[in-house]
Amino acid sequence: MDQSEIDALLSGGGKSPKKPKAAVKAAAPSPEPPPAPVAAPRAEAHAEPQKDGSGHVISELDTVTAVTERESNKIMDQLDQIGNLVSRQQKLITEIMGNDSAQAPGVQKAIHEVMSASKEIQDKVFEAMDLMQFQDITRQKLERIVHHLRQIHDYIVELLGTGLKSDLERPSISHTIAQTSTTPDENKSHADAVIEAFKSQKKG
Amino acid sequence: MKILIVDDSSTMRRIIINTLSRIGYTDVVEGENGKSGLEKLGQGGVEMIITDWNMPEMDGLEFVKTVRGQNPAIPILMVTTNAAKEDIVEALQAGVNNYVVKPFTPETLKEKIESLLG
Repeated sequence: MDQSEIDALLSGGGKSPKKPKAAVKAAAPSPEPPPAPVAAPRAEAHAEPQKDGSGHVISELDTVTAVTERESNKIMDQLDQIGNLVSRQQKLITEIMGNDSAQAPGVQKAIHEVMSASKEIQDKVFEAMDLMQFQDITRQKLERIVHHLRQIHDYIVELLGTGLKSDLERPSISHTIAQTSTTPDENKSHADAVIEAFKSQKKG
Repeated sequence: MKILIVDDSSTMRRIIINTLSRIGYTDVVEGENGKSGLEKLGQGGVEMIITDWNMPEMDGLEFVKTVRGQNPAIPILMVTTNAAKEDIVEALQAGVNNYVVKPFTPETLKEKIESLLG
């Protein structure tokens, strides 16, 4: 396998893995241009394709993380707005509760019910915001995949003595994917036990 | 109390800020990696640090080691996806006071912050 085949495999192999070698070679001198850069800071920082074209897959994965981060922030904006509206609603309800015309027991009961529902909505908004942590978890999983892809690419380049090794600055990555959970606090007791053991060891 | 939050994910920073505001901490400054975290810390007034581990330019571990070289007392909480035992031990050896594995619940963040602030 030569450099152009490696590049073709990295840049477009996923779309047509069974393409004959000759066809891959013919297509290699003018590889597909990388996708248009996404207007998000992370994509701009990391999505530059390598001169040998090997950055395409990495660039696409960077684009995915940039887009999900941008869209997650849009969801957060919406949740923020809902939260603000609910707060405003609660303020209005409190004002109504103090009104002389709203002192009848039936009215007060209804107002309390509306207030309780409003608090429930606010709790759900906060819960939804907390659940947005999935974006960062997924991004870090993708970072690890990109890291492994780059290792494979650099190894093949070194083996064949052709092409350019990747040297873009990237975030450090977690050592394992297996222990990265998606359920909140799944690793809390494990982490607390390690901290306790470390502290007792230090004291002893 | 001014809290410095260092994380390269803007979504995660927002989540942490949101959680902090719910438990009464509204004075926050943000850094998107260790390098910008050090800049913000240098501006003064920070009384506690919450930092991620995996970040570009300067990761959280290097950041913690640098901070500890200048300020041995400031409470540091690491909030990261790194859950392996050796990672937690490495972070504690670097000078982290407590450790939260993502994803976390607001209750956990609150518990850890309160334990750090005594």
